[in-house]
Amino acid sequence: MKKVFAILCTVLTIALMLTGCGGQKAENHYTIGIGQFGPHGSLDNCREGFLLGLAEEGIVEGENLTVKYQNANFDGSTTNTIAQAFVSDKVDLICAIATPMAQAAYNAAEGSDIPVVFTAITDVELAGLTEGNITGTSDMLPVEDQLKLIRAMMPDAKRIGILYTTSESNSISTIATYKELAPDYGFEIVDTGVATQADVPLAVDNLVTKVDCISNLTDNTVVGALPVILDAAGEKNIPVFGSEIEQVKLGCVAAEGLDYIDLGKQTGRMAAKVLKGEAKASEIPYEVLKESQLTINSDVMAELNLTLPEDMMSRATDVAQ
Amino acid sequence: MDLIIGTLEQGLIYAILALGVYITYKILDFPDLTADGSFPLGAAITATMISNGGNPVLAMGVSLLAGAAAGLVTGLIHVKCRVRDLLSGIITMTALYSINLHIAGMSNVPLFGMTTLFKNGFVDGVFGGGLAPYKTLIIVLAVAMIGKLLMDLFLKTKAGYLLRAVGDNDAVVTSLARDKGTVKIMGLAIANGLIALSGSVMCQQQRFFEIQMGTGAIVIGLASVIIGINLFRRLTFIKATTAVVLGSILYKGCVAAAISFGMSANDMKLVTAVLFLVILIAGNWMDRKGEPA
Repeated sequence: MKKVFAILCTVLTIALMLTGCGGQKAENHYTIGIGQFGPHGSLDNCREGFLLGLAEEGIVEGENLTVKYQNANFDGSTTNTIAQAFVSDKVDLICAIATPMAQAAYNAAEGSDIPVVFTAITDVELAGLTEGNITGTSDMLPVEDQLKLIRAMMPDAKRIGILYTTSESNSISTIATYKELAPDYGFEIVDTGVATQADVPLAVDNLVTKVDCISNLTDNTVVGALPVILDAAGEKNIPVFGSEIEQVKLGCVAAEGLDYIDLGKQTGRMAAKVLKGEAKASEIPYEVLKESQLTINSDVMAELNLTLPEDMMSRATDVAQ
Repeated sequence: MDLIIGTLEQGLIYAILALGVYITYKILDFPDLTADGSFPLGAAITATMISNGGNPVLAMGVSLLAGAAAGLVTGLIHVKCRVRDLLSGIITMTALYSINLHIAGMSNVPLFGMTTLFKNGFVDGVFGGGLAPYKTLIIVLAVAMIGKLLMDLFLKTKAGYLLRAVGDNDAVVTSLARDKGTVKIMGLAIANGLIALSGSVMCQQQRFFEIQMGTGAIVIGLASVIIGINLFRRLTFIKATTAVVLGSILYKGCVAAAISFGMSANDMKLVTAVLFLVILIAGNWMDRKGEPA
């Protein structure tokens, strides 16, 4: 009885795995796998934008496109399993959102001819993903534009505080860019690293005593704890500059950042080219979103008594309206 | 078919981790959380050595020794400082986060295109043509089997016997004029050496190091041990170490099955918990049925 039970379990598991394999292909019907590293506003926007970009090129979900979507919930070993599942399902293309997912997809897809299109990777070279059957878009922040914005809003400020997570390599390379460019605008960067979200309250309480303003990166953990940062900074009347429109909606004073939906659309258009066979992923170099988008929150600006020169106001989107 | 190969690969790599957890959890009866830190320790050392052109097998050896050192530290904290078992493991694990970051230099180190255990001149020469898709699987199987056989041999020695004694009834150890503290430390060192080795192989297979790849390692190890031990409990011809290896493969199989069923990865942890519970209940139920009335 017990032997049977054990053997039954083993057979059942193998059978379950086999049923997962295999798939059909109809003429000009595409099946893609979208792997997202974790649930997070910007990454969700990337995914939405990606599907919109594909639709612009005539590849629409439900009509000629089947989408298999998996979210790894910020777990590294799950990214590997998701990538392997996509490869064994023989999808036509893998869209990988965020660095660990892209690396797992690149690793799993090597040896097959499934192209990988990534998005939301800040430093593509650091991630080692420039060669091979892989391409995509980078969300490298327009650091220089952000510094100009901060200088325009706060003519006397000297120190910019940046909070980041030690496990995010993207944050580390963006901070390096900040430190390189900041002296040109008369700023000094004070950075504090945290290991987990739980460390944020203490770190930010400490940071606000040392700086004139805070600037955000695309750091997943820190952005997840944004309300805490806004509270602590608000008490000391320290403005917080965001990196994306969702952050400004939450209470950041302004952001010279990326529209992740646009980034996703650009990625979707690249993916459509690869799916239709117009180009190979290995031939397309990765792209960076060139236009940054200026967003402001006029309510917060009024509270903090900050103003912006007219030429910048005219191209800004105000989330408070 | 690809999914089965992938699952077997993952299962066998984590089987080495599971063997280490088997030593601490089952043999020593010591819940050791150091695993979450020693798994990425092996990976960090391997990533750094390979990025600098080092020999992959040497990297695996150094990782093993480093893992043993980590286990040694946990053991010393527990035995000499008299800190509880759970807390000693947590202390070492927490310290290792920073240490791993220093060793690797960055939180994410890609190893694409470098010489690893799976991609080097020797391997490419031996595994040409038809065998190529199974190359990783065969190598991982070899490493796991070597680890398992060495462990089997060790458990038959006097030192291995002392290890088992210290977990079941440590008075036996004292009666043999041996220090049970030293035996525990030895057990922790061996276990974490294996766990770090597993991390080293994982890092070479996935071709990148990520600082957070150790999070949940202890859970995966425990799941594998519990599934293996409980499921194959009545099959006495299967050794405990074999059962643990099979448990690891089965656990990864369940995760892969859940994903290929389209189950959301959000529910993955719930699935793991339910699976744990079902296996444990089934194990207990089978035990009771075997008892005399």
